[in-house]
Amino acid sequence: MRLNCTCERFFLTQSVTNQKSNRLTSYQPTHPLVNKELEHQFVTELENNQNIVHKICTLYTNNRDAHNDLFQEITIQLWKAYPKFRGDSKFSTWMYRVALNTAITLYRKSKRRIQTQDYESVMFKIKADEYDETEEQQLKLMYKAVKQLNDIDKALVFLYLEDKNYTEISETLGISEVNARVKMNRIKTKLRTILNP
Amino acid sequence: MDELELLKKDWQQKKEHLPKLSYDEIHKMTWKKSSSIVKWILIISILELVVPNLLVVLFVGADDWSTKDLGLMANYYLGFNTFYYAVVLYFIYQFYRRYKEISVLDDSKNLMRKIIKTRKTVKHYVIFCLAMILVFFAIFIIGFYLDDSILLSMEGMAEKAEEVPIAKLKSTAVWIFALGGIAFAAFMGGVYFLLYGLLFRKLKVNYKELKRLEV
Repeated sequence: MRLNCTCERFFLTQSVTNQKSNRLTSYQPTHPLVNKELEHQFVTELENNQNIVHKICTLYTNNRDAHNDLFQEITIQLWKAYPKFRGDSKFSTWMYRVALNTAITLYRKSKRRIQTQDYESVMFKIKADEYDETEEQQLKLMYKAVKQLNDIDKALVFLYLEDKNYTEISETLGISEVNARVKMNRIKTKLRTILNP
Repeated sequence: MDELELLKKDWQQKKEHLPKLSYDEIHKMTWKKSSSIVKWILIISILELVVPNLLVVLFVGADDWSTKDLGLMANYYLGFNTFYYAVVLYFIYQFYRRYKEISVLDDSKNLMRKIIKTRKTVKHYVIFCLAMILVFFAIFIIGFYLDDSILLSMEGMAEKAEEVPIAKLKSTAVWIFALGGIAFAAFMGGVYFLLYGLLFRKLKVNYKELKRLEV
């Protein structure tokens, strides 16, 4: 009991003095004040890194409703796992795993959703100054092709596009590095076939 | 592949077309309930635990069996119950252990493997329950053969026995119990496998895909 108290006090003082620093311990806070602080930290981090989650949602869903649904589930999973985030890696790095796991494993696509309000076309407009008709056409086709891949292939492409190396890709998905490379090559072939049937 | 490099370039600068949620919107989401597959396993498993036991109570009725004259069957029944609840407790413990092992921080393949393992525990539990339903009916059938008083102690049977010869009554009862037991078990099994089949379709496909290159 006494040990708990000291521990809590330690955490409180530390978190006040180091408000902006990394998370200190994996200690799960029970004190309401600490909880609020943790929540604030988490929401701020996620707000700053939300692009990663949005990109995953764009890949795995076809309309705005499903996008928001998946985003919400990923947020819940991130928040649930956040007390275990030790700050020994970047928040964004840690996010990739939880977000991808949610998208390919935990999340269940709802069949009830209406598939009509497809937003695919608005997702990849290029800025006016770099406008290039053939390039834009190519990009459009590429996005379309990637969206036709299966869940696992999408995950590989996503990590590849995010500039992750094969070690990171293999660690995130739980396959060997060699397999990741082989898979990526197969995906490239698949994409080529989709583009030039 | 040039197109993929082109896509990569575009992907990394693509920011302004993505939705942007405010602090408050994200904050609200942290309070929402998860609807993940793991949550569903938990809910369904609890139902599976409660429903068969509830059915036994409904089926057998709220009557206190100990006050009834079950003759030979009393021992069977007591043994059956002790065995049943011991195994149920074992499954609850197993399920809890597996459930606790599931972590979203695992790599994808491990996460899927653990979810499938948890599901397998539930599957074994259901198979056990279905078997128990059959055993439950079988005990009655054996009871009918060994001891006429069991059949006669059932409601309305004593009057029937005066009109119909006991042997005929006995074989009819055995058939009804045998078919009823099988139909009941098949129905419960059907519901279960359909439910899990639908729930796990996506996960199974993805797990297979991840495992495909191994060997």
